Amino acid sequence: MITTRYPSWAYTAALASLPLITPLRLRRLLSLGDAFRVWEMLQAGERPLVGITNDVWRAWHGVSASHVVQTAESCIDHSMTVVSVRDAAYPSMLLGDPDAPAVLFMVGDARVLSRRRVGIIGTRSATQRGKFFARQLGEELAMNDICVVSGLARGIDVEAHVGAMAISRDVGCGPVAVVASGLDVVYPPEHKRIWAEVGRRGLLISEAPPGTAPQPHRFPMRNRVLAALSEVLIVVESRASGGSMITVREAMKRDITVMAVPGFPGVPPSEGTNNLLHDGCPPVTDVADVLLALGLDTSGMVPTFEKRITPQESERHILAVMGRAPHSLDEIALLSGMSVVQTAVHLGRLEAMKWVANSGGWWEALIT
Amino acid sequence: MYAAIRSATLLGTRGAPIMVEAHVGNGLPGFTVVGLPDEGCRESRDRVRAAMLSSGLEWPNRRVTINLAGGGERKGGAAMDLAIAIGLLVAQGVITQESVDDVAFVAELGLDGSLRPVAGMAPLVDAVAQHEVVIAAHATEEALLARPQRLRPVASLGELVNVLSNNAPWPDMDVVHARVLDDVVPDLADVRGQHAARVALEVAASGFHHMLMVGPPGAGKSMLARRLPGLLPRLTDDEAFSCAMVRSAAGMKVTAGVASSPPYRAPHHSISMVAMVGGGSAHIRPGELSLASHGVLFLDEMGEFAPTVLDSLRQPLEEGEVHIARAHASITMPARCLLIAATNPCPCGGAVTFGCSCTVGAKQRYLRRFSGPILDRFDVRINLVKPSTTELTGGAPGESSATVASRVKEVQRISIQRQGCLNSAIPAELLDKVAPLSNEAMNWLRQKLDDGRLSGRGYHRVRRVARTLADMHGEHELIDSRWVEMACGMRVPVMVGTEAR
Repeated sequence: MITTRYPSWAYTAALASLPLITPLRLRRLLSLGDAFRVWEMLQAGERPLVGITNDVWRAWHGVSASHVVQTAESCIDHSMTVVSVRDAAYPSMLLGDPDAPAVLFMVGDARVLSRRRVGIIGTRSATQRGKFFARQLGEELAMNDICVVSGLARGIDVEAHVGAMAISRDVGCGPVAVVASGLDVVYPPEHKRIWAEVGRRGLLISEAPPGTAPQPHRFPMRNRVLAALSEVLIVVESRASGGSMITVREAMKRDITVMAVPGFPGVPPSEGTNNLLHDGCPPVTDVADVLLALGLDTSGMVPTFEKRITPQESERHILAVMGRAPHSLDEIALLSGMSVVQTAVHLGRLEAMKWVANSGGWWEALIT
Repeated sequence: MYAAIRSATLLGTRGAPIMVEAHVGNGLPGFTVVGLPDEGCRESRDRVRAAMLSSGLEWPNRRVTINLAGGGERKGGAAMDLAIAIGLLVAQGVITQESVDDVAFVAELGLDGSLRPVAGMAPLVDAVAQHEVVIAAHATEEALLARPQRLRPVASLGELVNVLSNNAPWPDMDVVHARVLDDVVPDLADVRGQHAARVALEVAASGFHHMLMVGPPGAGKSMLARRLPGLLPRLTDDEAFSCAMVRSAAGMKVTAGVASSPPYRAPHHSISMVAMVGGGSAHIRPGELSLASHGVLFLDEMGEFAPTVLDSLRQPLEEGEVHIARAHASITMPARCLLIAATNPCPCGGAVTFGCSCTVGAKQRYLRRFSGPILDRFDVRINLVKPSTTELTGGAPGESSATVASRVKEVQRISIQRQGCLNSAIPAELLDKVAPLSNEAMNWLRQKLDDGRLSGRGYHRVRRVARTLADMHGEHELIDSRWVEMACGMRVPVMVGTEAR
């Protein structure tokens, strides 16, 4: 028999971390009543739901109170809050969602969700220009008090977060990161620092209980939450199929505006976005496009200033001939009419000033 | 009863003179070889016996002791067969000791009494070049390389005994025409496009900077590497001689005329460590590293080489010599080669024009095979991309190898004159003196160091490459910031997700 009674959220968290739990099963369990009551029933060996297979019942049968303690402790250790659909703190925009997660784990300030929210997503193997664009867009949106929602994945996602937090703490709005793993399991590991910073300045959200590994099936699930949390979803770069396209489908299901950044034809990370544009998605070329899509007045837009050193005449010429497509050094030399050595020197200088970036021998101009 | 005969044995790439002492005395009939012989030397007994009997000479049915005197090293190979046979004949009184006092014998014996060449004829003859040297007739061309006082090519043991017993004159030596067989090196003009890579190749040749090419299949990595020897200056006589010595020691065909084009070696990635740096248990042979000395060593698909093989290159590349230590010998062989390596950027080979489908993890696993220290040996690291179709099919041919080679020669001449070595070998403490930076260049580098975009090790290497770049453009004094910037650009980060160079 249960001797101590923990706060209700501890039972919610415990239910969410049951073995073989799915969002649907969790929603059905929580619809039975208070999390504590449900837990008691399970512990007593009752079968309150119909249509649940014997395997699952067997897995749930052995639950004990220590499970509640463990989950609650790791939530407290990582200062996570746990909200279920039954709680008042549950994000209101998810309430009407047919696929809404029954329980959310959060770290940070949930108030950022009450701002205007824009999702920025894209491929993990992005071009340098795509990453640059995502970072700049993240920064400018945050400056304009808009909450940037993304997934903290490699490539476009993390750049949007870095951009949103590049501004001073006192102004703008912190970002929201919707992640697939438990909030204490940083994935990918190299994002440890930025992960923690999102928790401090914005909000980390996960459907997965603490300790959950980033299993592949969790990413599409994460994408549906990400889409549902966005008012407008911007795809910066995406291949013709992939995670970003799953998010796009989820957004379209929910009638959320999807916008895409035009890319150079023939570059794989632009295929998906160019397809979206072809299908009628509005394009994003700067932050004003996004503000207009949100129905905001762009006249009061907070301008951002170019912080990079202005390049010299001949270097501007190189940037102009490079345009938005990736080029090899030879091509740039040919286009600019300079010698290879001269071009290499100029590109070296432009790279140091962060006007161009090189990946695998391809040079890209970091201009919007 | 006793005889002392001159011969030579091979230690790595050098020959060493030895004395073969023979003693024929009373006692139980037997044959013993002492003086650290290896397995091949012990087998000499059977060959010598058969050869002597075939030549109609008498085998001493007494107690025979052979001593291989000289040094504490282990003697290997069959080069002393003939000396042992002659020793036995002198000890038995068939030939007088005086007639062989100033003669050295370097040849293997066939069972029919014929004389045969052995691997490393050139260095072996070189070791006893101040004497008259008797060799197998077939080995004349190779032995002439060592320029001995007097070469005596002989066909068989019987013939030789006749000569030494003053019954016949020395046989005539076929006059060998010194044919210079230059390797046919493909021309740089065949390479279409790849202008940036051409510049990098010229830098590598001018300063002897090791170079790594990262690029997808079909970008022309092997094609470029194959043309690098053609950009290097012709070998000097000394260099060509030492190259030929190494080739001879490795048992490769060497002609009397010394090839003056730099060697080019491209071992397959399944190569073992011993084959790469040299070694072997009994008979130490030079490896690819020594064979490529004064020339180019090309490692295609560097990621496929065993990590131990790659790491074994580190110390020899730094010192220009390989030291092989074994229980019975410690040997030094040349290893001053220009290393050029090629690798794909990722497991899929980056087959797509831009971007690839490999996950970040897979890329990291692929590139993790290169240890930091070995990557650090490459002063020049460039990315290659596939040339476009228009570049491949049309476009003017680029400069020819000869044009570039003449510029390379000039830069090398200036660097040797200035600091006594090529630019890649400038010692760190001398950099400020021979490769001074302009204020602007210094600030630029300092900025990179502060940002963590340049490692401490990278700092010196960038300065050496900048020195070469400035030399290539006729600026032999102060180094302008342009060249430092470009040198940095020629040192692309290889590891995924790192920016430091």
